[in-house]
Amino acid sequence: MKKLLSVLLVCVMLVGVCSAGAFAAGGELEPVTLRIWFHGSTVTPDASAKVMEEVNKYLADKINVTLEPIWGTWGDFDQATTTALAGGDDVDIYFTCNWSANEYNKYARDGYWVKLDDMLDEYAPELKETIPQGIWDCAITNGYDGMGIYGVPALKDTATQNCWDVNGTLLAELGYDVDAVCEAGLDYYSDEFEEMLQAAKDAKGADFYPLLIEPVVLERMVTHSSIITGDLNNANMLSYYYDAEHPSNDTGATIVSKYESEEFAKFAARTYEFSQKGFISPSCQSTATSNDYRTATQASAEYLFGTQSYAFGCELDYSKARGIDVRMVPETAAYMDCTSGQGAMMAVSVTSKNPERALMFLNLLNTDPVLMTMMNYGLEGFTYTTNDDGTITFIDEARATYSPWTNGMGNIRILPPTDAQGADFWERFSAYYDAAETLPYGGFIFDASEVETEGAALANVFAEYAFNLMSGAVDPDEALPEFQAKLKEAGIDELVAAAQSQMEAYLAG
Amino acid sequence: MTRKRKLRLNAVSPGTEAVIHVILAAFSLCCIIPFIFVLIIAFSSEESIRAIGYSFTPLSWSTEAFRYAFDKLPQIWRSYFNSILITVVGTVLSTLMCAMYSYVLYRPDFRFRKFFNFFSFFTMIFGGGLVPTYIVCTQLLGLQENYPALIVPLLVNPFNIIVMRAFFKSSVPLELIEAATIDGSGEYNTLFRIVAPIAKPGVATIALLNALAFWNEWYLSLLYIKRNKVLQPLQALLMELQNNVQYLNQMAGQLGAAAIAEAAKMPSQSLRMVLVVLIVVPIACAYPFFQRYIVAGLAVGSVKG
Repeated sequence: MKKLLSVLLVCVMLVGVCSAGAFAAGGELEPVTLRIWFHGSTVTPDASAKVMEEVNKYLADKINVTLEPIWGTWGDFDQATTTALAGGDDVDIYFTCNWSANEYNKYARDGYWVKLDDMLDEYAPELKETIPQGIWDCAITNGYDGMGIYGVPALKDTATQNCWDVNGTLLAELGYDVDAVCEAGLDYYSDEFEEMLQAAKDAKGADFYPLLIEPVVLERMVTHSSIITGDLNNANMLSYYYDAEHPSNDTGATIVSKYESEEFAKFAARTYEFSQKGFISPSCQSTATSNDYRTATQASAEYLFGTQSYAFGCELDYSKARGIDVRMVPETAAYMDCTSGQGAMMAVSVTSKNPERALMFLNLLNTDPVLMTMMNYGLEGFTYTTNDDGTITFIDEARATYSPWTNGMGNIRILPPTDAQGADFWERFSAYYDAAETLPYGGFIFDASEVETEGAALANVFAEYAFNLMSGAVDPDEALPEFQAKLKEAGIDELVAAAQSQMEAYLAG
Repeated sequence: MTRKRKLRLNAVSPGTEAVIHVILAAFSLCCIIPFIFVLIIAFSSEESIRAIGYSFTPLSWSTEAFRYAFDKLPQIWRSYFNSILITVVGTVLSTLMCAMYSYVLYRPDFRFRKFFNFFSFFTMIFGGGLVPTYIVCTQLLGLQENYPALIVPLLVNPFNIIVMRAFFKSSVPLELIEAATIDGSGEYNTLFRIVAPIAKPGVATIALLNALAFWNEWYLSLLYIKRNKVLQPLQALLMELQNNVQYLNQMAGQLGAAAIAEAAKMPSQSLRMVLVVLIVVPIACAYPFFQRYIVAGLAVGSVKG
């Protein structure tokens, strides 16, 4: 026993000496291994090994780092990362955001991420420069070590714009001038909108449902309300109604209870009307089937109008995938808020033994086109070839084996454009997103932890009514007053008051 | 004459027999049809699935999905190998451990019987929970990114131990062990040469349960195989595909356009069914093999000697 103890002691001392040695060297960087956990990857082990060989050669020269990526997939990321974080796994950098299970703000509050404010200037000056202040503001959250930046936001499609997804081919078939209709814009409450739906229904028969909706998106889109970052997860209770043409205008409005607003009542009544007329498929009105139905119906192009949260250039992809002329008709102007600002981030884990080097790596990844291209698109000659005009063409077969989630990685604006996108894609992309206005409440993030009890009760009430009302499945004249009464009982007023007072405090200081 | 009467002793009336046949046939159809459906989908062309959905009579047939799986996805074969390796090694080890553990619990002359009985039973009622288990496995036992991580956590199953012990009790008379001891047989010899052959049906049942557990396991891979995905078993590969598609559907609201673009990368529906076929076939082949012993076990019954 004594022997065992002394062996252990020696081991502990040796480890101590070794780690001390790593810092003592000073100027020259000691070699370190960094583990980084990505989301949404489609990467095979062989392809990863091939690309990482080159990446690590490159990194060895730059910051003396060996990278060991963990290619999390859409399906396993939530469960695997939350277990690994709770279990204190030896991982340096985690993908995080405001919609995954390792939610950025919550995990910052619980002390899983390293506060980066003081380190940014020293280890990532170029990164600090590259990312606009408006997006950095969104990363500021009330974490374990006080207000500050706990993750590096990705410079990606950082604006939100809700659009009508118009089946141009069908609209032309019905005898409308597609360009004129799209130019004029669509108004959910107008008679023309209803006429077009009716025309499609008449032409295609009773089994055709022209209005293909995602109820939650439709509501935000038609009523011009934004998500309050930090609102109850998957049960949004709060609305901020912005100016559809100039989202940055101060509308004088405040955070309100979504389901008690006039806008919502008007929206629910209209949707119910459309549902009664047979414009909305019953499959859209059940949470169990709505997602599958929507995906399938989009693919087979059996709709007239749909809802879509816009991403720059997506109409081209959709037209190609669905074999029709897809048009995107904006309902509102594009705006920037923290929901999109926190859409993809990289946080340094407190279990990291080399947080400085992790930050240096993130700095390089977000500012060095060579590294970003290798990590995101793979290797020239393996996954893509370069054309004369600077664009790249994917070698589809190899690209299918190495296809990380592009937007989830970081600053995608330093990537080369693909031939499908066109040589000036990133200029147009940047112009579009840089023009997006910031909502008046800017980087405000609601912390719902003080009203947790009410939150749980509200989520139950939400599950009972909200989806049915938003999809037009139930008559709002009956269901809405019931819903509102139950929300009152569950404590909606406390939630709204908490959000409102937090926002006032944020804007004041 | 006597033969006829003898037959009639166990026979039921033709009417009842017909009813029983119909019920059993309907039941087996319920089991077989889903698999046939999966087979048909695997051989349906992608256009047919897009146009009319899953159907017993697709518009057109295609072996594209199978060809794609066999040519383009080397990971499928590796995962296949992993699944088989894990199942074989895991089944042998866990059945051996289960038999040995329950054998000593069955022997009344074992002094710490009560304690070890409770020791295994206790884990059935109180588990450590996911995170503590994960920490013990990864940090204390080093079960991460390696084959043992997929085998060791499943090795001991207290329920199987209880079943096995009961089986020893009912089928192996203690006198037999005494007789063996008197004849000079050592403990291991008694267990493997005398007790095990008698307990074969029980061992086979436990082995089948274990084989199924190892073959169908995907959760361990999700937890412990992250960097070294070459080690993923086939079930984990299928589960990952399934979860990806489901997740993207669910998150369409939050991810917007990205979800649609990502969903386009996912393998086709028929390819997923190909994986299901690949998973079902080997384990379906294992059943008849085990069945022999299980039926034999039923026949051995209680009255003997």
